[in-house]
Amino acid sequence: MGEEGGGALKETLEFYSGKRNELIPILQEAQGIYGYLPEDAIKIIADFLKITLGEVYSVASFYNQFRLIPLGRNTVTICRGTACHIRGAPQIVDEIGKVLNLKEGETSEDMEYTLETVACIGCCALAPCVKINHKIHGCLEPGQATGLFNIAPRAESN
Amino acid sequence: MDKVTLTIDEKQVVTDKESNILTASLENGIYIPHLCYYSGLEPPGICRLCVVDVSGDIVFSCRSKVKEGMVVKTRSPVVDKIREVNFEIIMANNHMSCKGCAATGFCEVQKIMAFCKTDKKRVRRLRPPEKQFPIDESNPYFDYDANKCVLCEVCVGTCNKIQKALNFVGRGWKTKVEFHGDTSICEKCGDCVARCPVGALVPKGKAQIQKSA
Ligand code: SF4
Ligand code: FES
Repeated sequence: MGEEGGGALKETLEFYSGKRNELIPILQEAQGIYGYLPEDAIKIIADFLKITLGEVYSVASFYNQFRLIPLGRNTVTICRGTACHIRGAPQIVDEIGKVLNLKEGETSEDMEYTLETVACIGCCALAPCVKINHKIHGCLEPGQATGLFNIAPRAESN
Repeated sequence: MDKVTLTIDEKQVVTDKESNILTASLENGIYIPHLCYYSGLEPPGICRLCVVDVSGDIVFSCRSKVKEGMVVKTRSPVVDKIREVNFEIIMANNHMSCKGCAATGFCEVQKIMAFCKTDKKRVRRLRPPEKQFPIDESNPYFDYDANKCVLCEVCVGTCNKIQKALNFVGRGWKTKVEFHGDTSICEKCGDCVARCPVGALVPKGKAQIQKSA
């Protein structure tokens, strides 16, 4: 987080009065600015609300919506719901994990991909399915999951 | 201060009007299993072990005020069953291995296990897939073993009154007690270690990973 980033957060904080019950909305704003919650942002927020770093961290780590590490450019979400599970989600997790060389919850070093699993994407009829960014790929068969990564949008690497 | 008289397990007990059933029982030598209650702290009411029967109603004694003429039973088949299940839920996430543990002998969990006659085999079946957290040695004054922590909140509640250095972190079975980064605000008063009912928070160097039993 550079000078500029801290400025954006501080500007946002001007709309708040500094009460502790504003913590969650402020964390949401901070995540909106940076895409995740950098440590410096947590410090600024803790100072602003006059609470300890640990208290901010405790709340931020409880909610799934908050991230303490940045996301990759592409998010791969594998469904592990009941329908997908019985139709082969574990194999898909394995397969994609191997292609991307990532474990669940990890982000590749080049920040290209983040791999995560969820309890249900909401399209059980297409089980087993995988979501890459906003696109759903359903009815996958063994071996197909690997193929997805040629069509996944790949940001230009430099 | 105003006093009230109530009956706990057929014993007449006189206590403070503002007191709760759990405190009144403990003061009078009647043991009710409890983990999250600690004298002097606001009881968070999260362990659910302190169930008692008040004229047929099942209540949590740490959060129920005493009343004049109240009749409390600390044991009954229903109470025992509820307590047993609540305790098994806590124990399913716990190591239950006491050999070499710094708290063995004065551990509340050992005491409650004996009290409830917990069936270790049954609890083992409830256990989620093997988890093993590493010991957290980030604090210069004590070590923390999440595998033994029963998440009673006593240490967090204690520190909240002093430095607010300790907090719960994470959610579900991954919940732990942690410092975040800033260990410098810890005043090494040691109250959290002294009050931990099990061997999760221990003086530096006393923690050792044990195999689950
Ligand atoms: S470390 Fe000890 S006192 Fe703190 S929550 Fe865990 S069991 Fe309770
Ligand atoms: S002591 Fe009452 S709920 Fe824990």
